[in-house]
Amino acid sequence: MILTKDLSVKYDNRIINFPDLDVKSGEHVLILGKSGSGKTSFLNVIGGLSRPYSGYVSINSKTISSLSKNQLDVFRGLNIGFVFQTPHFVKSLSIENNLLLNQFLVGKTNKNHLNRLLEKVGLLNRKDDLINNLSEGEKQRISIVRSLINQPNIILADEPTSALDDENCKIATDLLIELSKENNACLIIVTHDSRLKSKFNQYVELDVT
Amino acid sequence: MLLKLAWRNIIYRPFSSGLSIVLLASSIMIIVLALLTMQQLEDKFDENANKVDLVVGAKGSRLQLVLCNIFHIDNPTGNINLEDIDFLSKHPFVKSAVPISLGDNYKSYRIVGTQESFINNLYSSKLAVGKLFKKSQEVVLGANVAKTLKLKIGDSFYGSHGIEASLHQHENAKYKVVGILSPTGQIIDNLLLTSLQTIWDAHADSHQKGSFDLKKEIKHDHAHHHEKTTKEITALLINYSSPRAKFSIPGLVNKKKQLIGAEPAIEIQRLLDLIYPAVKVVSILAWFIFGLSFLSMLVTMINSLKDRKYEVAMMRVSGATSKIVIFSILLEGFLLSFIGSLIGLLMGHFLMSIMGVYLTNSYHYQFTGFIFNTLELWILLGAVLIGVIAAFSPAISSYKIDISRTLKNKI
Repeated sequence: MILTKDLSVKYDNRIINFPDLDVKSGEHVLILGKSGSGKTSFLNVIGGLSRPYSGYVSINSKTISSLSKNQLDVFRGLNIGFVFQTPHFVKSLSIENNLLLNQFLVGKTNKNHLNRLLEKVGLLNRKDDLINNLSEGEKQRISIVRSLINQPNIILADEPTSALDDENCKIATDLLIELSKENNACLIIVTHDSRLKSKFNQYVELDVT
Repeated sequence: MLLKLAWRNIIYRPFSSGLSIVLLASSIMIIVLALLTMQQLEDKFDENANKVDLVVGAKGSRLQLVLCNIFHIDNPTGNINLEDIDFLSKHPFVKSAVPISLGDNYKSYRIVGTQESFINNLYSSKLAVGKLFKKSQEVVLGANVAKTLKLKIGDSFYGSHGIEASLHQHENAKYKVVGILSPTGQIIDNLLLTSLQTIWDAHADSHQKGSFDLKKEIKHDHAHHHEKTTKEITALLINYSSPRAKFSIPGLVNKKKQLIGAEPAIEIQRLLDLIYPAVKVVSILAWFIFGLSFLSMLVTMINSLKDRKYEVAMMRVSGATSKIVIFSILLEGFLLSFIGSLIGLLMGHFLMSIMGVYLTNSYHYQFTGFIFNTLELWILLGAVLIGVIAAFSPAISSYKIDISRTLKNKI
């Protein structure tokens, strides 16, 4: 599913090398690293948000660095869902419209799927609210919903829990695992939050080299 | 969806969007107002000024002569003897010469003593009901006079002396309505027409009674002195039969020391030349506000996008191509300026129709807000373009956004 080879990025005039990854369909991987270890850069390269300094990423046996900027945007929209530490939404739109916008951007509409996901995270009754009326934990749950809204086969999560308290951390992690299982998507989480360790069978640690 | 996004983004920031819209709308409103007023003034002036080639009246201001006898808004310059102008009616270059005699009004609508040709030829007006005046004291009403004053055939009324409404009435000069004209949209709609004889009778009469103030009395006395021997009129409206007349007739008229000839087309052009600078000042003001509205729109868009760079980055992460991002921002600029200009246009027309009522009352001219100028389409197009241009720079900077770097900057 996801294969990385000899990846490195250039960051502040130094080169950070990453271990090779081989994540099979439906697998869950936790990547642990301290801040400054380049874990966000690693995730951005895997998700095609930035280009690597060397090496390549292959998703579904497609080398994404060979895609043009526009192709990459479309590819990302269809295949990869992102969850970030701070969830950003279009503030002027309601929750439902934010999710509909995400479907629109890849040319899909599937209200059933949208409602099912909202119900799963327990926020179906809040769908007409503006984003800023939600708590941080609720926002993160909505961003998990958003990452799955177009049924991608990959979920990439960058510090999804580090801004959350223990309770919300648990809720968010459980949802990420449960929903990606349900959608048969592989899940890669990068974090320094060791609270997550117990939930995952396999993890990779990044060292600053 | 993108339209909804643009719309939501506009109303999400009601104050800055509102300011842009208000500024744009007011500048467009002023431009439209100036445009419509000028257009109607010019139309009215042109359409009426071209009816008559030359106005001959008593010595005085040429412009006054035209305004009084063609547009019926100024005072007469005085009277002229029929004898003095006799040569004009017979001149081969003169196709028609219509005499008019002013002096009375009814509720501020002017009573004009003239001949049938004033109605039939000069204004090509048709009777809606009744017949034309034959005998003294019979009067035919312009369509608007009949409508506003609610007069019908067979009604009678007393006229007042002077051309503005006054308390003094010619008590013996009782007019009788014999006909009402169809509406023409021209000045004749606001006139009461009667025979020259009516005016002569009324003034001979009032002269004997001598019941108005001394100053007028003296003037009147003077004016009526010759009455026993020659009859007087206020002006003669001349149309040429040959283009060459333009070079000879005015000269002939001006040679006579008691007469003066004024060409409406030239006088009106002069008048408009006097008005244009004022209109220009108003337009400059409007363009200034227009410039401000552009700036305000620019600031609104830039601020809004600065505020939204995470949203934009997030949209890109979710599969929006840069083209879609640019398009959605331009759409927002378009929508903002479109709403502003539309409100401006509507307000302009609305205000014009309110002012139209006022102008119609004071000038006895029909002004309306329900006319459209093709220039307005260009204004709309221009304003919308300005909105899109204002959105352009924030759109481009969003296009260049580095997604990973933007998202890394945690708030």
